[in-house]
Amino acid sequence: MQENSTAGNGTNGAGQPAVHTEGLWKIYPQEPRPVEAVRGVDIEVSAGEFVAMAGPSGSGKTTVLNLLGGLTRPSRGRVWIAGREISELPDKELAKVRLSRIGFVFQSYNLLPVLTAAENAEFTMLLQGLPARERRERVRRLFAEIGLEGLEDRMPPKLSGGQQQRVAVARAVLAEPALVLADEPTANLDSTMAEALLDVMEKLNREKGTTFVFSTHDPRVMERAGRLIRLVDGRVEG
Amino acid sequence: MSRTANQTWWRIAWRNLWRNRRRTILTASALSFGFVASVLMIGYMDGIVEELVSNGTRVVTGQVQIQAEDYQPERSIHKTMGGREGLDVDALLAAVEAQDGVTGAAPRLYGGGLVSSGDETVGAVLMGIDAAREATVSRFASGLVAGRMPGPGEIALGEAMAETVEAGVGDEVVLVAPAADGSTGNDLFAVSGIFSVGVGAYDDSYALLEMGSLAELMAMDPGRIHEVAVAVARIREPEVPAAEIREAVAAVAPGLRTEPWSGFLDQLYFMVNYVDAVNFVVAILIFGMASFGVANAMLIATYERRREFAVARSLGTSGGGIGRIVIYEGLLLGLVSLAAGAALAAPLMFYIHNNPIDLSRFVGTYSFVGSAVRPMLTVEYSVWGPFVSAVALVGTGVVSALLPAWRAVRIPPADVLANR
Repeated sequence: MQENSTAGNGTNGAGQPAVHTEGLWKIYPQEPRPVEAVRGVDIEVSAGEFVAMAGPSGSGKTTVLNLLGGLTRPSRGRVWIAGREISELPDKELAKVRLSRIGFVFQSYNLLPVLTAAENAEFTMLLQGLPARERRERVRRLFAEIGLEGLEDRMPPKLSGGQQQRVAVARAVLAEPALVLADEPTANLDSTMAEALLDVMEKLNREKGTTFVFSTHDPRVMERAGRLIRLVDGRVEG
Repeated sequence: MSRTANQTWWRIAWRNLWRNRRRTILTASALSFGFVASVLMIGYMDGIVEELVSNGTRVVTGQVQIQAEDYQPERSIHKTMGGREGLDVDALLAAVEAQDGVTGAAPRLYGGGLVSSGDETVGAVLMGIDAAREATVSRFASGLVAGRMPGPGEIALGEAMAETVEAGVGDEVVLVAPAADGSTGNDLFAVSGIFSVGVGAYDDSYALLEMGSLAELMAMDPGRIHEVAVAVARIREPEVPAAEIREAVAAVAPGLRTEPWSGFLDQLYFMVNYVDAVNFVVAILIFGMASFGVANAMLIATYERRREFAVARSLGTSGGGIGRIVIYEGLLLGLVSLAAGAALAAPLMFYIHNNPIDLSRFVGTYSFVGSAVRPMLTVEYSVWGPFVSAVALVGTGVVSALLPAWRAVRIPPADVLANR
């Protein structure tokens, strides 16, 4: 595992880094004093990297992931995804970038409770308008790989935590985004399940070249990362 | 937006609707009862209007009238159709009756005079009629409370008039009337019948005579009439048959004016339009009130799902997609409520239509803008009432969803996911 405090050196196929930030700040207005959640973060992640962001609670990991995914706008600084600056994009354009380039895995699964496991996994592909046959085939293959076979029609409350998180990973990767952002994906899983999930993510990274950036404070997960970025008090350490 | 995405919004909206069944059923019930109330209210008002128009035009006037161009407003006895020579009444009636939707046509001759019996004398509108034809247009014949319609040398009196002059069937009354030649006609007539059509203006002051007898009394030649009253099948919409009748009449007898009741019963026409407007306002009020409850329920439902909307936004759903989910939910709620409301309203309407509730113990028959109204709580079948109510109901569902949709669209994904 390589530890790097600022930037990686890889680029994507078009010669652009998968992720690049410059002087990223996020300040939440709050009484009595504004909270500086992210303070001047510069990151570069090459296409195909498997990067972990580590740090204690409150270090700004989730906020950085949200900024990289365009879920919130930086107070200062800029973010590029595959060479395209997204910091100033209007909401509609940001939604398109997320739909076409980014997959999200949330800490608490966040499956849509009115959709079945298969429908949740298909969700991003549905938005992209992929034909039904292709969607189902992709779901069938991945579900078989990650041990969800036979659970396609289950509603989320009928799935275990591990199963739900695997569905969430499936939802994030099935549309084949260039970048997957995962916020503590193993936080709610036991060690066996966490290992299994990391296996799946690593396999996708290896075989599909999907770039993974995930936050964690689990040492076992950090061990599996190709590179580690440490955040402390909203800054990249080192 | 792809078709598959749109199908997904519909699916999510439908399933969301049933996540909290109790709330959905309560909200849908409010809308359904609003629909039932609106349909019955409009049906009831339509029933009153139908009764007003029916009584206003079926009692005496008919739904279309043909008169000499200059007969109104003085109604001079000299202004007969076709001038002093009169016209071919049979040809005119045949032309009128040949039109679609015409169910009857009756020629009439009018005069004014005094009816006396013993020491009592009362002013009267004298109406010369063809009894058989008159029965197809007016309610004089069906309103007979004694005797029969008049033949030659006979007269039928309104019930109130008969009481005033204290005359009954078989009695003789003296009739004095100004004639067309400037003289005064007078003669004895036997009372053949007494009628009551339920409208004071007619029962108090109308006297019916056989057409030839009145013409003779008024020294008028046969073929001179003042009016042809026409009955049509669709009494609420007489304009179309009136236009066709006008055209047909112009071909056989030029110089006549053909007018639907909306023209010669302008107060009644105003009343009908007024009631239609009131119906519209009633529907708006009912559903306007309901919309607050629905919007509140949907706001709560939307607030409870903020996290799901945030997740969907994070996964690339556009604001429009989120808005659609909420609006589709409002639309589906409206449609579900409509189905339930229609299932409830249809049998109720059917029952009340066929079993009107008699309110005569509380209020007697009354006359309104020249029309007798029976105190019956009934509802009239119509397409318009349910249509307006259905559109208002579904519209309420959609409009009530607008604010929740707007709020859902504006959800900041990162803040919501972080429970901020």
